[in-house]
Amino acid sequence: MTKQDKPNSSYTRRAALRMMAAGGAAGLIAPNLLGGPAFAQTPPETPTGRIVVGLSQEPTVFNPLMPHIEVDDGVNFSVFDALFRVNVDGVIVPNLATEVPSVENGGLSEDGLNWRIRLRDDVTWHDGTPFTAEDVKFTLELIVNPDFRAWRTTGHDLVRDITVVSPTELTWRMEEAFAPYMSFLTETFMVPKHILEAEADPNEAAFNQAPIGTGAFKWGQRLAGDRLELVANPDYFGEGPYIEQLVFKYIPDMTVLYAQFKSGDIDLVGQAYITPDNYAEAKNLPDRVVTPEPKGSVESIYLNQELPVFKEQAVREALYLAMDRPAIIDALYYGVPSPAETFMPPQSYYYNPDLPKQEFNLDRARQILDEAGWVPGADGIREKDGVRLSFKNSTTVGNHLREQTQQFLQQTFAEIGAEMTIENLPPAVMWGDFWGQSQFDSVMVGITYLVGGDPDVTYRFHTDAIAAKGGSGSNNAQYSNPEVDALLVEGSRTFDPEKRREIYFRIQEIIRHDLPFLPLFAYTNVYGHKAGIEGFEVNTNTRTESWHAAAWYWA
Amino acid sequence: MTTLAATQSPSRWWQSRVMRRFLSHRLALLGLLMISLLTLACVVGPYLLPYDSLYIDLRARFSPPLSGDHYLGTDPLGRDIAARLLMAGRISLLVGFFAMVLSILVGTLVGVIAGYRGGWISAVLMRTVDGFLSYPTIFLLLALAAALKPSPVMITVIIAVTSWMEVARIVEAEVRSLKEREFVLAGRMLGLGRSHIMFREILPNAMGPIIVAATLTVARAILLEAYISFLGFGIQPPLPSWGNMLNGAQQYLATAPWLAIIPGAAITIAVSSFNFIGDGLRDALDVRNDNI
Amino acid sequence: MPAFLLKRLIQSIVLLVIVSIIGFTVLNLIPGGPMAQYALDPGMTEADKARLAEQLGLNRPLLVQYFDWAWRLLQGDWGTSFRDGNPVLAVIGRHIFATFLLMGSSTVIAIAIGTWIGIRGATHRYSLFDYAATVGAMVALSIPTFWFGLIGIYVFSLKLGWLPAGNMYTIGDASVLDYLHHLIMPSVVLALVHIAIWSRYMRTATLDAISQEFVKTARAKGVSERRVLMKHVVGNALLPMITLAGVQLPSILTGALVTETVFTWPGMGRLFLDSLGYSDYPVVMGLLMFSAILTIAGNLIADIVVAVVDPRIRLA
Repeated sequence: MTKQDKPNSSYTRRAALRMMAAGGAAGLIAPNLLGGPAFAQTPPETPTGRIVVGLSQEPTVFNPLMPHIEVDDGVNFSVFDALFRVNVDGVIVPNLATEVPSVENGGLSEDGLNWRIRLRDDVTWHDGTPFTAEDVKFTLELIVNPDFRAWRTTGHDLVRDITVVSPTELTWRMEEAFAPYMSFLTETFMVPKHILEAEADPNEAAFNQAPIGTGAFKWGQRLAGDRLELVANPDYFGEGPYIEQLVFKYIPDMTVLYAQFKSGDIDLVGQAYITPDNYAEAKNLPDRVVTPEPKGSVESIYLNQELPVFKEQAVREALYLAMDRPAIIDALYYGVPSPAETFMPPQSYYYNPDLPKQEFNLDRARQILDEAGWVPGADGIREKDGVRLSFKNSTTVGNHLREQTQQFLQQTFAEIGAEMTIENLPPAVMWGDFWGQSQFDSVMVGITYLVGGDPDVTYRFHTDAIAAKGGSGSNNAQYSNPEVDALLVEGSRTFDPEKRREIYFRIQEIIRHDLPFLPLFAYTNVYGHKAGIEGFEVNTNTRTESWHAAAWYWA
Repeated sequence: MTTLAATQSPSRWWQSRVMRRFLSHRLALLGLLMISLLTLACVVGPYLLPYDSLYIDLRARFSPPLSGDHYLGTDPLGRDIAARLLMAGRISLLVGFFAMVLSILVGTLVGVIAGYRGGWISAVLMRTVDGFLSYPTIFLLLALAAALKPSPVMITVIIAVTSWMEVARIVEAEVRSLKEREFVLAGRMLGLGRSHIMFREILPNAMGPIIVAATLTVARAILLEAYISFLGFGIQPPLPSWGNMLNGAQQYLATAPWLAIIPGAAITIAVSSFNFIGDGLRDALDVRNDNI
Repeated sequence: MPAFLLKRLIQSIVLLVIVSIIGFTVLNLIPGGPMAQYALDPGMTEADKARLAEQLGLNRPLLVQYFDWAWRLLQGDWGTSFRDGNPVLAVIGRHIFATFLLMGSSTVIAIAIGTWIGIRGATHRYSLFDYAATVGAMVALSIPTFWFGLIGIYVFSLKLGWLPAGNMYTIGDASVLDYLHHLIMPSVVLALVHIAIWSRYMRTATLDAISQEFVKTARAKGVSERRVLMKHVVGNALLPMITLAGVQLPSILTGALVTETVFTWPGMGRLFLDSLGYSDYPVVMGLLMFSAILTIAGNLIADIVVAVVDPRIRLA
């Protein structure tokens, strides 16, 4: 009797498409909907062994609904479950739910406004209490409780009239159609009503330091500043767990993190992963499996469109031409990342592969500037109408590879008569109003544009998303293009994946032309684990390597 | 605990003696020599080297020392370390020097006023000094560096903000012991103004410990710059400083150890030299040595 | 005596208030604040961040925030970490062991070696040993601690492979021996500066004691050189050393910050750096107050010891 959970394995490809339509998932070709590879080995009957995951930041937030960062996600995915899960191919599959709502299965109304969720009946919390629809209702309501310090509320704030029909069924209504919500729900972990309800203040609940979930692993103990230990949940409803203990070890220095991977002190390199400079050595280590895998974020020189000098299309184009990307990728980043032209991750179904490729061409760059009327001044820096082709670039202090890239770019920019000065800032300063209110000239930054694999990027590129102009999104470049605005609105209300694909292809074309940011490369994480670990898979639609530790085991 | 000049008479008869004693202090002379050479190298050196400190050549990255024209090797961007070391020396020494000047100015002012006026003025000033001193220096440094844009001027100011208290304490103690002395009483009797007595009569007689403190403050300031730059909050690239050359060196310790060894050695040499000089000055100015 | 104590106590309290005001001001000068860490979180909008800031009370006037914080502190509530929602004291408490282990061992090393060097230097004044110790101490004070640590890692971890490059213990081992193995390099690195300081003070203290009349008398009475040294000189010299320890100990805490960073030691120094990076004000303020209290208490104890031992001394 396998515990493997396959309620949807009989789905047709058409059904899969529909599911993605509803969820707006990122991948299309899904040879195996569950994404479970055929293991050469078989997992052990009872959980055995321990896997130590090294992290360069410390997980500290254990209430999954409160604001947290990537490393906390690894813990959340292990201790908790969401209604759905997004698999490695970007397909949304059921987790606590028994089906992904769609128009076909009646879970979703034609207009996308009415939702019905059906839940598994065999799930219990770690304390033995059964999990029911009441917990789901409680979770969704807690998120929008004004007294609760919730993480993201986008999407959740559109939910109305949550009705518990039975312990395994509930319905709600959306204020407006919002296709990305299904993706958001893959990162919305369910919390136990019976425990949190009793707390006077959910922000200060004891639960937040010793969480109780439904996940494959139970809370063990935490040694702050050092490590967190989770233990196997033998009653888990889904696949696994196959290991007895899952340890997240905090190693704040990337060099030491790698050294400990090499020495075998840690079994798997987690968040922040193996630095590119160690890749060449790492891939030849005996008894280690080291794989570079693209992740969903793009490194770029992000330009403030309101700066007079960047308002000129010619300037943005010329700067793009003056970036020696091959040298940056090959020399500074040891050939690990791949060139990028768009915000869309290459593994996404919505990735447009036909965008023009950037070339490094200083002559062409100079020519464009000449034609546009930018003429070199006395100091060699070009000028036009009293505006000098000079700008500042900022990134967080202490990021060596970025600092090196900046200085390298500075040199080639100078060759076309553009002056880039470096003004790096401490993280707290950088990511405060300086970033949020667009007070920068340009920033070197790696941004993940998609949430949970959904292609909707309204909050990054829509005119109404400019916080510096009173908007509520994260369009920090202050990019504004009416055509893109219209397409974005259309895209977020469209459920058919093929139609959506056309829309996002066009958006990528326009943005590639407008260049609100100059893409450097698509990030690639270098993952590494001991050769004996089976079942480890990278899922770029999540933010963590530990998105499915339940499947890991020692061969 | 400075009662160094306490027993000195107000005239300057000791000056030549001090000179003689300083010159007989071999370590201090060595320090002076090293600092002079280092300063000379930093001023002239960059013009003599074949590479510019900012010139990037990715093909030559991580060349070890003594490879071709790169006498001290190259950094991760293929820049010449020798050129960078000397340019960095300019920055680090300048930051050290001006941080010292600022700390001495503020420290002396606070110390003289607190020491001479006494009473509640002294209490307020010296309690403020204590307040600053109860902060771990590095805490204050980092908090300030996180709040301000890390330009060289700002780093200098930040270091001065965390260094003036020691000077103030030394000067306060000195002035407090000097103000009851005959020449001060005489000055008061003659009806000289308060500021005249403070800055024209007392201050010159407190110069000894101040000079010693100044030398040691330069040493300390260079070290502090190295600390905050090492932690990434200090002088920002492409401008090199000895501290920021070390920032990131740990990452390459296994493959390019010279990145760590060379700037650290420069810091140690410069700081020891200033400490040697300071020690020599202290011995030379300490009248108790007269009896030995 | 009680009047003197009372005065010192009141001054200490005033001092703590000044410290907290400076700290609070400086922290709030840092733009960005605790919400900055979510700047790149996909899907977290400016509106979300504004809501969180409001919920955390960060939008109140600074003065109100300060008095709120101070009032709670007076009631023994050090606040809650923004980052992980734990009480500040608990957060600090969890990092104390590592720091005290490191500082304790380095202090033991520093006192043992520093005392020996100092006494030997004083009794063998102007010998080659004395001269080398003097120069050595000055150079030791001039070496950046982190650089010394880096060189140590290079030699003993990377080249010789004798000692671990970082961390407090090996996961899955964590025996006493394993702790000691990890402790050697950081504590020696941290001790270097203090060996230099202790040995200098010890030398001066011993010299002072030697020159005092009773030692000369004892010697004249024919008591053996060694006994005189052990009983009188060291006994007398250790007293000022204790005072010094009172002043020095809390500051060793901060010296550990850089060492902890280099050796990825899970102590308070690293907690401070992390908290500062996340603008976790309550924790940063907690650490500042904690170390200020230690420093002030250290000074106070030192003053009292001096006053008890030598009634002529009355501190301002």
